[in-house]
Parts: sequence; C-alpha cells; structure tokens
Amino acid sequence: MNDMPQQPQRSRAAKWTRRGFIGAGVLAGGALVIGVGVRTGNPVGRLGPLVAGGEGEQLINSWLKIGADNIVTAIVPHCEMGQGVHSVLAQMLADELDADWSLVRVMQAPADGSYVVTDTIRTFVAPGTLDAPDWLEPTWNGLFTKIAQLADGLITGGSSSIRTTGQRTMRIAGAAARQMLIGAAAREWDVAAAEITTANSMLSHKPSGRSAPYSQFAAAAAEQDMPQTPQMKAPENYRLMGKDVPRIDIPDKVNGAASFGIDAVVPGQTLTYAAVRRVPVPGTRVAKMDAAQAKTMPGVLQILNMGDFLAVVADSYWQAQQALNAVTAEYTAPESTIRSSDDQFARFAAALDAAGDKGGEEVIGRGDVPTAMQAAAKTVSADYQVPYLAHAPLEPMNATVWARDGRCEIWTSTQVPLMARSAAAKALGLSKDDVTMHHPMLGGGFGRRLETDYVVMAARIGQATGYPVKMIWSREEDTQKGLFRCADMSRFTGGLDAQGRLTAYNNVFTQRNDPADACDCAFYDIPNKSIRVAEAELHLPFAAFRSVDHSQQAFFIESFIDEAAQAAGRDPLEFRLAMLGQSPRHKAVLEKAAAMAGWNAKPAAGHGRGIALTESFGTIVAEVVEVDMSSGKPRLTNVWCAADPGFAMNPDGFRNQMEGGIVFGLTAALYGEISLKDGAVEQSNFHDYKLMRMDECPAIAVEIINGDHVRLGGAGEPGLPPAAPALANAIFAATGKRIRALPLAKHFA
Amino acid sequence: MHRSATLAVIALALTLTACGSKVEDPVEQIVVRPPGVAAVPAAPAAWDLVAAGKAAFAVCTACHSAEPGGASGIGPNLHGVVGRGAGSVAGFSYSEAMAKSGLTWTESELDAFIANPSGKVPGTEMVAGQVADAQRRAAIIAYLASLKN
Repeated sequence: MNDMPQQPQRSRAAKWTRRGFIGAGVLAGGALVIGVGVRTGNPVGRLGPLVAGGEGEQLINSWLKIGADNIVTAIVPHCEMGQGVHSVLAQMLADELDADWSLVRVMQAPADGSYVVTDTIRTFVAPGTLDAPDWLEPTWNGLFTKIAQLADGLITGGSSSIRTTGQRTMRIAGAAARQMLIGAAAREWDVAAAEITTANSMLSHKPSGRSAPYSQFAAAAAEQDMPQTPQMKAPENYRLMGKDVPRIDIPDKVNGAASFGIDAVVPGQTLTYAAVRRVPVPGTRVAKMDAAQAKTMPGVLQILNMGDFLAVVADSYWQAQQALNAVTAEYTAPESTIRSSDDQFARFAAALDAAGDKGGEEVIGRGDVPTAMQAAAKTVSADYQVPYLAHAPLEPMNATVWARDGRCEIWTSTQVPLMARSAAAKALGLSKDDVTMHHPMLGGGFGRRLETDYVVMAARIGQATGYPVKMIWSREEDTQKGLFRCADMSRFTGGLDAQGRLTAYNNVFTQRNDPADACDCAFYDIPNKSIRVAEAELHLPFAAFRSVDHSQQAFFIESFIDEAAQAAGRDPLEFRLAMLGQSPRHKAVLEKAAAMAGWNAKPAAGHGRGIALTESFGTIVAEVVEVDMSSGKPRLTNVWCAADPGFAMNPDGFRNQMEGGIVFGLTAALYGEISLKDGAVEQSNFHDYKLMRMDECPAIAVEIINGDHVRLGGAGEPGLPPAAPALANAIFAATGKRIRALPLAKHFA
Repeated sequence: MHRSATLAVIALALTLTACGSKVEDPVEQIVVRPPGVAAVPAAPAAWDLVAAGKAAFAVCTACHSAEPGGASGIGPNLHGVVGRGAGSVAGFSYSEAMAKSGLTWTESELDAFIANPSGKVPGTEMVAGQVADAQRRAAIIAYLASLKN
C-alpha cells in the first residue's frame, strides 16, 4: 500500500501515469484529465448521469459502479456477440476488485467517446509502444486515447478484448477501485490502509473486528484520488481469473430475455418496417422501378428507389417484404467484366502467372530462394484456391432508425458503434453529436458487423420517412448482397534438400488484408523464403471474416506443408516438429494435439487423420482432424485441439471459442461457397449455402496450455484457421486424394 | 496497395468529418399513406377477433377440444366454457384445486386464468398454455364465447 497517497494530491498533470487511463478519455481545455473523484471536469462527474443513473448507484471510476445493494457493475466497452466478452472482462475486473462473483453484473458501455478502447487501438496500430517506460507511458496513453477518439475506436474485433482492454483497462480499474475503497475505509475507521483486507465484496479490519460491504464506502471511494500504480495480482493470487466461473449472459440467452439489435423497440412509438433489395451486381444502379402492384398491397406506406437499393416501408415486416417482392426493376450495366466464378479465378491465375517466381510485392524475403531452389534435391509445387464466403450470422442485418428535427436515433447490433454513428451522421449530413446510438447484443458478428453499410441504408430510409423504421434484410439479401470473405488463390514451390528438409519456400497469392503476418508461418524454421502478393481484382465487396486472412492462408500454407512432408517421404507430424527447433511453445502445442489424438496409433480402416498448426491473434493452435471416408464422402469423427493463448482467463469460455472456431472453420471448409453467375451471387439461403448440421459435427476435445502469463493471445478467431487444412490433410491421409480447392464436399458429391 | 481491415476502418473513420457530404436522397419516393392512418383499425371488428382467436386457439388444441360433444383430452372440452362453472365437464378428472375453485368462467375470470393458470388456481394441472399477450387472450376468449349452442 506504499503508493496509496495519504494526502490528496491536487496536481492533476503530475498524476498522469501508466495506470491513468482508467479514468481517461476526457479532454478538458486541451489537457487530458484523469481522476475518479466527483469533481468538475472529471469523468465520474460527467459519466455518472450517463451510466450510473440508478437509485443508490455510485460510479467509482469510468469502468465500474457499486450499488447500494453492494452489486458491482462492470461497464464493458466491447460488444457481446456470443464470444462471452461481457462476462470475462467483468471476471477480470471482479478478481482484481476482490468482488463476490454472484454480486457482479455487466453493463454495455454507451457509444460515447469516453469509452473508446484505447489499448485495442494501440495494439492494432502501434504494438511496439506497449513496452514503453513508465515516464513515457502518459504520453503514449494520452496520444492513443486521442487517436482512438478521433478514429471512433470503440471496436470489437481482432480477438483482442481480453489481451487489450481486459489486461490493461478492466483489471486496473478493478485494482484501483479496490485500493480506493480501502483508502476510504482507512480514513473512516482511522486505521492503516495496510491492515485492511478485502474479500467477497467486503472490507475487513481484523485488529478492530470491523467490516463493511463495499457499498458502504462507494461514495467515499469515488472521492479518493486515483492510485498511481494499483497493485495487480500475480497469477498465483488469481481467484476468478483462470477459473470456469459461470457466464453472466447465458441465463438471459437461455430463457429468451436477452435483447438483440433486431428486438429493438422505439419507446412510445409504433414501428414501421422496411424490406430492402440491393442491386444484384455490385457497382450497378437501379435504372427503372415499377411499383404499380406493390402500391396497392396491404400495409404499404412508402416505396423508395434509393438509387443503389429499393425499399418498401409497411406496417409489418411481412407486408413490406411481400410488396418488395412485387416491385420489379431494371438495373444499369455492370462495369466489372467478372461474370462467373471461373472469371474470378482466371483473374487470380493471371495475376499469379504475371508475378512468376519473383514478381508481385514482397511481404517476406529471407535468404536466397533461387539459389536454394537450384540446390534442392527435389521440388514440389501446388496451387490452392478458396471461394468467397458469406458470414451468415443468425441475426440478419438490421437497424432501427428514427430521424427527425435534425437528429437521428439508431438501434442496431454492431461491432463498431461509434463508426456506425459517424457513418450515419455523414450520410444524413448531420453532426456526430446529433446521432445517438443504442447497440444491444449481436446475434453473430464474425466480422460482418465491423461494416456500417446496413446502418447507413437504414438511416437513409429513416430520413426519407421521418418516422421510426426498422429495416430488416431477408436471409436472401444477407446471403447475396452483403460483403464477403474474399476468394483467393495461392501458388507455392518448395525445395527439399537431400535430407528431406524444406530449405526453399516460394509463395505468391492475390489477396492481402489483415493481419499483416497471416501469410507467413514464421514459427517454422525455413532458411530461404520469398512470400509475395500479386493483387487481383475482386468482384464482390470485402468484409473481414472470422480470422480474416488466416481463414484462407492457413489452408494454403498447412496444405502445402503437408504436401512437402509427403514429397519428403516423412510423417506430417514429424516433418513439422523438425522445423520447430526455434519455437518451443509451438512444438509443445503440436505435440500435445498429436498426443491427444493418439497420432502414432493407426486409425480405423477407411479413416484418416490430418494435422495443422497455426498462430493467429497471439494464440498458437494445433488441430488433428479424423475423417471417415469409408462411405466415399467425408464424415468427421473427431477433432483434437491443443491451444496456447498465454493464459486462458476463463478456460471454459476459451474452449467454447475454440469449439466455435473449429465448427465455423469446418463448415466453411466442407460446404462454404459463394459463387457467381452473371455477376450476381448464386446462393440465396441455407438450402444452397449449407452449414454443417448437428449430426455432422465431430466430437471436439480441447486442451489448453498456459504458456505465457504476461503476453496473452486471443480466443474468438484462433480456433478456425487450422480446421480446414487439418481436414483436407485427413482426407488425403484416408484416400490419397489431395484437394486444393475448397469447398471439400464438392469433390465428393 | 494493401487493404488492412482494421487499419482501413480506422483510417476511414479518421477521414469522416463531423459534417461530411451527405449521400444521395431517394431517386424516387412513392408515399402511399402515412403510418397509423387507415391501417388496421384500432379495435378489430368482432368477427375479426373471433377469427384471430380461432387461429390462436390452434395451440390450445394440443390439449383441448372445442367441438360440440368432442372428447376431452389432456384438458377438458371447452365448447361452451364461457359462463359455465369450473370443473363441470362430466367425466373429466379435474385437479382437486380446480374442482373446488368455485369459479364461474366469465370472460374476465378466463382472462385471468389463461394469463397465469397456477397463479389464478394454485394446484391446477394446466401447466402449459399460459398466454402472456392480452390481445391474444381476448381473441381466444372471443372465439370460445362464439361457440355457444
């Protein structure tokens, strides 16, 4: 408790420290203001009415409040889309606070600049600054808070919430609040702060036998100065972190009480509903609309030709959709000459051909590939391709808008509430401050809801009508007219030396988005590497898909490594292990997955096992997939997954995310395909955009290795990348048939 | 030129000015009528309510017949239930609570019961079929009331 100031310090500028950002995010008179006391200009005073308006609630710092009933509410900035982030971030805060988990609740932070996720933005933009010395930290923190605010940096993505906001905001907020509560009790009881202990949301002073619930000192704690360096727990002292504490959001999701974007109501108003139809081919426009029949249909209020889409507004969604189905339209001719999937892949192949062995833009260059290739005893070459994919979240795109009197209110599920606010403001010619966002839970995000196109559409409809409208996309609209995981093609040549080691690696592909290092399997010790991107035109618009570039790159790379192992005449596991001399954590993960699968025992007749290893979003994952090919079609029996996320804050939640990522990855690998015909998407609904069914789902076992308690990895995405290559490798092991183009099931139709 | 999904959205956000250029207005706007005007009448006509009730009653038919003379199922026949005494269908084995309830099934008593069966008659064996929506209940009761001989 050495850093607990006994006398309040009034010099705010001097108090800006690496821990300061728990109350940061407020600019006053050009200077960053921190602090948690209820004082003019400080966040608690300003934020209190926004987030702690309930009877008897006291905001302690920006991120938590305590009620008169001793309920601790964690104010979580990230969005809940099934990944469990609300609960686990509250868990991290509650552990540092020594709170009773049964008395902890979660509140979604409002779409307000005070709640930008500074450390998430900082990790994305400049991870190198995370190790800044203490004296420099205030500068960096202040700068990135400002950048985050300018960039509307309230974002949930990149498997980042635990390792950024959790580690660097929620834990610190909890630890600081605990110290402030102790400080307040010490003053009231007139005892040394060091003699006060905390547990289960109670303060105790053993020598005098006094104890009190946190709620009793909440108001006084908020008056305490911010601790400069709150004492964070070492892993051996974690009580909640690393434990399978029950998720807060589950009961409401089971009993149906949970509210999602599509459930939005406008208080006191009768909603109207809009059905929409975008142009069928990207880049085209509505040339002519015929709404003669639709005008006469029941419930219809308005019919809109917005240029880039059509909308019907009606008393109910069904009436709107029925009337929209009766609207006919003609469209302008597309500029893109890509009409079919074959056209798209021909474009990719042409780009790769043009790049040749050396062309394209270099991403990774190491050693001397041409010389090593010359010297190789054997070379192996392969091309791989993956199709476009739709995200297909269960909750289709939707947004509810009420625009009137130069203001606009929006209800929608989004991964980027502040960006959505800005995009809507821009579309309507309003200031950001004139747009209010409400963002309930998401019925699936998967990257689709990092985009704001649907919010802008709803805002435009709402502005045209002037009354409250809920726009809902049909499933067909969602499948055909959205934004897509890009199709891609990748070409490899590898050189093996006389000992069967992969000494030369030449790779060129056509699509590069995010993360920057997704195309490199840096953990494998391959001395000569040339990895390049030769960009090719995409016909369909892009949106990040769960694991982004890893979703295609892992299939390319780990399929090719398998082919190289085969060319070298080596076991795929042994071949990989031999390249992991510099990467002990990766080696441990791969060995673990192999041991779980009983890799060395032969699978049953007709069965095959495949293995793949990836690192994405800071987490190392190996998966072994076993497939039964005895019926001539792939039937998945088992997946064994070993993962090292550094430290799993909630192991059950982490396993759940691995399982979800695996199922998402396997379903995409088996069935996922958005194809083109006449420039438009061919698939329309789940009958032709198939997902893996419950009865097709293999048994999935997940084991966690906590390999680094300081630098954590993510959970939401890393389970996905190894699934596709492990399955393709398993099919090869079972049948000898190497499949280089997804989806896999198409090859066994 | 690479696209970085994360950086791109951040860069995009940075380029958004507070009052950006407005995107286009509708090319064509056909206003059929304002909302709330000449839409569904505020109180549906009686026959509407009965029809709606008949449709809503489909759920109830899992346990209850409403046919004249129809056999009782898991629950008693409800033909002519409005106005009769609780526990009065001959041959149906009622719970003790229901048999002794002394209730007469007026429309308002039925409404209270369907809204919360075990709250209205603690001990009733009607454990399913609660109808939370008041309009739905009104429609179901209107339908049942229409079934008098």
